[in-house]
Amino acid sequence: MAPNRNDTGMTAIELNNLAKRYGRKQVLHNLHLSVPAGEFMVVFGLPASGKSVLVRLLTGLESPDQGNIFLRNTDVTHLSPGERNIGYVPQSFALYPHFTVHQNIAYPLHLARVPKNEVEPEVQRVAGLLGIQSLLDRKPDQLSGGQKQRVAIARGLIKRTDLYVLDDPLVGLDFKLRERLIDDLKRTQEMLNVTFVYTTSDAVESLMLASQIAVLDGGEIIENGPPETLYTAPQRTQTLQSVAFPQANLIDGTLSTQGSHQFIETPAFRAGFSGQPNGPTPQVQIGVRPEQIRIGTTPGALTCQARVLLREDLGGEEILYLDAQGVQLTTVLRSDDQTQQHVDIDQSVTISMQPQQLIVFQQGRRIGVCTGSE
Amino acid sequence: MQPSRTRIAFYYSLLWLVALLFFLPVFWILMASFKTPDDILAVPPQFLFQPTLDNIVSMLTRPNTIPYFINSLFLSILSVTLALVVSFLAAYTLSRYKFRATNFLMFLILSTRMVPAAAFVVPIFQMYNAFQWRNQFGVLMLYTMFSIPFSLWILKGFIDGVSPRYDETGFVNGASRLHVMFRVVLPQVRPGLIAAFIFNLIFVWNEFLLNFILGGPGTQMIPYALAVGLTDSGGNVDWAFVASLSTGYVLLPTLMIFFFQKYLLVGMTFGTVRGEV
Repeated sequence: MAPNRNDTGMTAIELNNLAKRYGRKQVLHNLHLSVPAGEFMVVFGLPASGKSVLVRLLTGLESPDQGNIFLRNTDVTHLSPGERNIGYVPQSFALYPHFTVHQNIAYPLHLARVPKNEVEPEVQRVAGLLGIQSLLDRKPDQLSGGQKQRVAIARGLIKRTDLYVLDDPLVGLDFKLRERLIDDLKRTQEMLNVTFVYTTSDAVESLMLASQIAVLDGGEIIENGPPETLYTAPQRTQTLQSVAFPQANLIDGTLSTQGSHQFIETPAFRAGFSGQPNGPTPQVQIGVRPEQIRIGTTPGALTCQARVLLREDLGGEEILYLDAQGVQLTTVLRSDDQTQQHVDIDQSVTISMQPQQLIVFQQGRRIGVCTGSE
Repeated sequence: MQPSRTRIAFYYSLLWLVALLFFLPVFWILMASFKTPDDILAVPPQFLFQPTLDNIVSMLTRPNTIPYFINSLFLSILSVTLALVVSFLAAYTLSRYKFRATNFLMFLILSTRMVPAAAFVVPIFQMYNAFQWRNQFGVLMLYTMFSIPFSLWILKGFIDGVSPRYDETGFVNGASRLHVMFRVVLPQVRPGLIAAFIFNLIFVWNEFLLNFILGGPGTQMIPYALAVGLTDSGGNVDWAFVASLSTGYVLLPTLMIFFFQKYLLVGMTFGTVRGEV
């Protein structure tokens, strides 16, 4: 993928053809990424996809085997971490146990030799931002996990810079706390109008936080763009499947041509196809998000029969596992949606999907969408 | 199942019995240092007696006693301190820069302490004679070298327990390597430093053979004084002197062990069992 430089503003980060190998394992390769200034860039990747290595290269803790790193349009590939001027929130909190919370937060300013009288208001500011003013005199071992994380974020944010790197900072926190911190982080980034690079393996976190998502898979960025685009029109099956909760459905099908018409056939349904195949192989996969499958018929939709295998009631919504002529499908129903009929296990139902929401992939890449039923 | 109270009482009385049995000779020496020579050798042993400070006064007024104490303190404290500085730098390096043979190198360094002093005292003596190192500096260096292996092992265990993420957070915020070593890592391994200090101090404090062979006026320590002052001119054991010198001699290690017990365990397990420290 070519770097898509944002020509209107400044480029905060540009990674050009990065590669990193540990022993025989090629962790990153052919990695390109461009982050315009002021973006909240979430690097999304499953565990062990190379996110942490990318952060280590970006912060300068390790050097790439190949490629260049530009920060603020300057080549920093060979600069030490301290010279890159990055605010950093490490994955494990790494709060110094021999410092108080106050000393921990003030640490980056202390290292930058900021005069003492300027440090205090800054500490108060970030502590206020994260709601930890009352903890300043404590030692890290007197804090709960969530409090430690807030302190670590405060220490990362206190640095006066325009670029912050947060390495999966909310991993392992409980759900409620994460939601609060997600709000805080998003607000903070918008308020400071700075660039955030944030790694995570959580799809919901990515979608909630990001102004741009880069999907890291197999050591390279396979796709990046705004969350809405990635969600509704993913270019790769990995993106469709991983940036989602619950997981998206992938249906195996075959592509055939009759005259000037192209058709997709699956065990469950048959649909038209509009798009350009990128190879001669007839095997395709049709991706559909769970919430796009509806129970009952809707005008203009593709329909098929399915049997309900399992129901998971999550209170606000229900996850249904369906079997449509041998094809396993997952769908989500909102409990307050009056237009949806109630279903029971083993019940036979008619399901419908809007054809233009069915994305057709060939060899993992998007080649088009379905058209009306045939 | 909780053992019954009588069982616990039985176990504890057994423990006390064994402990007192082992403490008896020490107790005898401590008592003897306050007894007159006649009381010391009285049969049956005297438990109630008129204490006297005569032994201690006469021991301290012997011409070389005070210098022996000074030598012991000087050599043990300084050599162990120097060893800690060297060991901390080495332990940080071995912990953070992992190269192929680290474990083997650690083993080699420790192996210098596996040979009993009696086995290498002759070559060391000849070497020290040849290089004219049989002075304060030479003996100090010997004890420093002597203290490095255990200190290195203890400190490496501790530094391995300090996550490199701490170092990295410092680096990204612009800290130098030295800052990270001394301001980030060092404060976190303080228990290891104390453990290594006490553990090696006791070793050097108790060292006799090398001191006896290599030592001179500026380097002879208390164990040497005990050995050469054991008998009086008539060939009899001078119990009053031995007892009073021993009492003064065990004072420092006893106090240290008493106040820093928990660190001693750390030392004996090379930092792998950290307990409450």
